[in-house]
Amino acid sequence: MAEISFPLPDLGEGLIEATVLEWLVAEGEQVERNHPLVEVETTKSAVELPSPQAGKVVRVYGEPGDIIKVGEPLIVFQVPDDTAGIVGTVPQEQAPKRRVRLTANLDED
Amino acid sequence: MSEHTTLSDLEAARNNTRDAAAQLESVETIESASDGQRQIPAADAPATEEPADAGPAIETLSMQQALNRALSETLEADPKAMVLGEDVGQLGGVFRITDGLQRKYGENRVFDTPLAESGILGMSVGLAMAGYHPIPEVQFDGFAYPAVNQIICQVGRMNYRSRGKLPMPITLRVPSFGGIRAPEHHGESLEALFAHVPGLKVVSPSSPHEAYHLLKFAAGRPDPVVFMEPKSRYWQKGPVDTAGTGYSPEGARVVREGRHLTLVAWGAMVARCVQVAELAAEDGIDIEVLDLRWLKPIDAEALAASVTKTRRAVVVHEAPLTSGLGAEVAALITQHCFATLKAPVERVTGFDVPYPSGDLEDEYIPNIDRILFGIQRVLEYRRG
Repeated sequence: MAEISFPLPDLGEGLIEATVLEWLVAEGEQVERNHPLVEVETTKSAVELPSPQAGKVVRVYGEPGDIIKVGEPLIVFQVPDDTAGIVGTVPQEQAPKRRVRLTANLDED
Repeated sequence: MSEHTTLSDLEAARNNTRDAAAQLESVETIESASDGQRQIPAADAPATEEPADAGPAIETLSMQQALNRALSETLEADPKAMVLGEDVGQLGGVFRITDGLQRKYGENRVFDTPLAESGILGMSVGLAMAGYHPIPEVQFDGFAYPAVNQIICQVGRMNYRSRGKLPMPITLRVPSFGGIRAPEHHGESLEALFAHVPGLKVVSPSSPHEAYHLLKFAAGRPDPVVFMEPKSRYWQKGPVDTAGTGYSPEGARVVREGRHLTLVAWGAMVARCVQVAELAAEDGIDIEVLDLRWLKPIDAEALAASVTKTRRAVVVHEAPLTSGLGAEVAALITQHCFATLKAPVERVTGFDVPYPSGDLEDEYIPNIDRILFGIQRVLEYRRG
């Protein structure tokens, strides 16, 4: 198993920090991609951040009311070692399937 | 391998390296001082940590684990080796090939670079000129394009340009080929591009065992090697004999012996060709599978030996057909086996389109039926 840290992303419009309002996941919880992780408030608005990936939540940073700067750790996921990486999926091994049969007259060999 | 550059020219280049190293004694060294001699980890030597009486050290590893092990042992054995690239340090690589290496060998030897491939390769050129043995990674094949100028104009040429004074012992790791349903730029097959560049050597492993030994061998070369890792094969496990008894990292390798036809492949296509050979056996066709391994220089002798026996050949690759490496393979086979060939060499390849992302890749990558059709065309061919 490997751990992947996800920092607070750039929320746009030059915002440099956000305040944690409420964590929507708990440590130890298994989350899917795009599952809402946390509600944060910037000087512009309150937004829900979706999970960038599937995995088990190992650690969350910041209690409600704490300020987190863009780029600082927000959450750490535990993922299996065979996750394909930042993109792609691990190919599944399948029994070979065929539709084509070979016919040959090899007598002249 | 008479017509082509052979691996034996590595000996001459290795001597060059020693000469150059002797002239570069004043170069700063990292951490433990080096004697200026490159410590080449011998791929066929027993692993030093194994007791002599332990017997063959065969483990079951994925290619990902085998590559990680090979990098770790290279860093251990060669104090001038360095690993650099995007996310290879703290994260351990997006495919986790460099997992744990920064913790073990420190931030001076395993480090993250800015998101700029030309910089990664440019830095590697400078490090090589200063006597180091960089092992850069470009995160995905498609991101090698921004570094093409450095690869072609500096990495491939510096040894020639300097008349052997500045060899480029760079091992460029490139997660390559398709098969993981990734988006654009993440499934390219660049072997023909790199093989066309004078000064570069190109190799692609097909199994964990090959990956472990070929990476250690490549990292010990005095010349630049482009190491194309088949990313769709990172996770499948296989036996790895780390002692490498009887293993030779040079030239091509017969994976499966056969009498009627030779399938030539490399990287991820080797496993598929072995599947095809097993299926063909049900139809009474006995197929030999040749893992080319080195795509530059190509082992023309092994090609000739195999096809002289089988008299029929099909070459399989993921890259587009036109000017693909299959054309070079076909030309070498034709040249060496023209008198005995039963049919023109058939090529089963990707198509002349940009690599399709996601679900369409099954239509693009040569599948079992397309390879069988290629075999059937060769079997049916009659002269005149």
